[in-house]
Amino acid sequence: MIEPDRKTAPSPGFGLGLRPDHYPDFLRGPQPVDWLEIISENYMVPGGKPLAMLDAIRADYPMVMHGVSLSIGSDEPLDMDYLAALKALESRVEPLWISDHLCWTGINAHNTHDLLPLPYDAPALDCVVENIGRVQDYLGRRILIENPSSYVTFRSSDRSEWDFLAEMAERADCLLLLDVNNIYVSARNHGFDPEDYLAGLPADRIQQMHLAGHSDMGDHVIDTHDTDVCDAVWDLYASAIRRFGSVATMIERDDAIPPLADVLAELDCARALSARALEAEHA
Amino acid sequence: MPEALREMQRRFLAGIVGDDADAEELIVDDGRVGARRRLDIYRNNYRASLTGVLADHYERLHAYLGDEQFDNIAQAYVKAHPSTTRNLRYYGEALPAFLAKHFPDDGELAELAALDWALRHAFDARDTATLNAAAVGALGDAWIEQPLLLHPSAHLLRVRFNVAALWSALDAEQEPPEPVAFASPVALLVWRSGQQPSFRSLPEAEADALAQFEAGSSFTDLSAHVIAAMGEAGAMEALAAWLGRWLADGVLILAD
Repeated sequence: MIEPDRKTAPSPGFGLGLRPDHYPDFLRGPQPVDWLEIISENYMVPGGKPLAMLDAIRADYPMVMHGVSLSIGSDEPLDMDYLAALKALESRVEPLWISDHLCWTGINAHNTHDLLPLPYDAPALDCVVENIGRVQDYLGRRILIENPSSYVTFRSSDRSEWDFLAEMAERADCLLLLDVNNIYVSARNHGFDPEDYLAGLPADRIQQMHLAGHSDMGDHVIDTHDTDVCDAVWDLYASAIRRFGSVATMIERDDAIPPLADVLAELDCARALSARALEAEHA
Repeated sequence: MPEALREMQRRFLAGIVGDDADAEELIVDDGRVGARRRLDIYRNNYRASLTGVLADHYERLHAYLGDEQFDNIAQAYVKAHPSTTRNLRYYGEALPAFLAKHFPDDGELAELAALDWALRHAFDARDTATLNAAAVGALGDAWIEQPLLLHPSAHLLRVRFNVAALWSALDAEQEPPEPVAFASPVALLVWRSGQQPSFRSLPEAEADALAQFEAGSSFTDLSAHVIAAMGEAGAMEALAAWLGRWLADGVLILAD
């Protein structure tokens, strides 16, 4: 049944981040994934192999676009050249949806290419809400904003990340991409309870989830995306599914890319865990 | 009145890029990890991602220099050239000039870097129909008057060192030869063959001929230029051989 006021699209199932190492696997024949996520910037190039691979693989799989350079939290005008390139890629890919991160990447024409943290206070919230509104008006669709992993807390922060995200999503009328690993990483780094985080989020705006691995440094955790999903993150994922129901989920591996079979095996774990969590919820 | 977000971001950025300790004032100092170490995570990420992308764009230069030397140079470049591009793909364009300036006695470094960058450009340059034998056939006799250009992936480099041999040895993961300076510069043509970037060295006369297309010459214009340079008999033979190869490799396109 389609709820008339539903904000999210129905879940397309279980997906993977498309990585160049796996192009040959996807060209060789059908793979057991329901959809693929591309890093938008990797295809914001004039031509050649990246776009040829994109077109060939897109013919067989639905795709979503995930960006790293929108810099939605920079307190300066949006980069319209970047937005135009994003929109051009959108018309090529016809993605299910488009996402980027709750962060800023630079200021005053200096880009760090890193997902830098924001203070969780009213001025930052105003800035982010206004920028999301402009982007959504320009693209003519709701975008997804992903929770970052972070290592610092600003002195000026006066609310939790989940309160910030919930108010941002409501005021900007955007959707959320929940990175379960990032919640775990930030919870360890800042000492909050990840269940409080999940409980504070608007269930009706969660469109997608990321699962990834990290590096445990003892007194802090670094979000490296170069290893398997750990048990604690799997547990948190099951908890998220019990709360939010069936949500499009993918494995996000960015470094030390293993053979496709290994990532598919992790995706099977996500399928099984999600099914069990949903069963338990409906039992 | 709280500090404006923009000013806070300027200070935070300065703290990451320039090790400015002032940025530590912006964040909560805890007994467990501490403000400095927390900020260091961003400092390290910043440097590692930019030096990492330089290693990716300049793969053979990296292999030639080894991890430690390449990293030293990449760190210095990152310090001197903050990124102003949105897309990491385009970071590092000025590295060949940076090397030429700072290592004037090791001229092969800048040239090896320039070759890496030209190949990286060829990899994802704009797609457009190349002029091949079938296209020439379809155009009929009129084609020789049409202005031609190099394909967007094609680029002529002039080098003074044996960087073609260095690059090829490094690509094959073999010990590279000693750097050698030539008596006069040698031309390299970089282009995309199918989806694969490639390059070859070419005689000066052929390089001079191809350079005519950078300005949109027609084949008729080129023929006149080559006849003037080497006389009619030699020109006809050379033009026929070059044209066959250019059409087969797909390095030319019709202008407009």
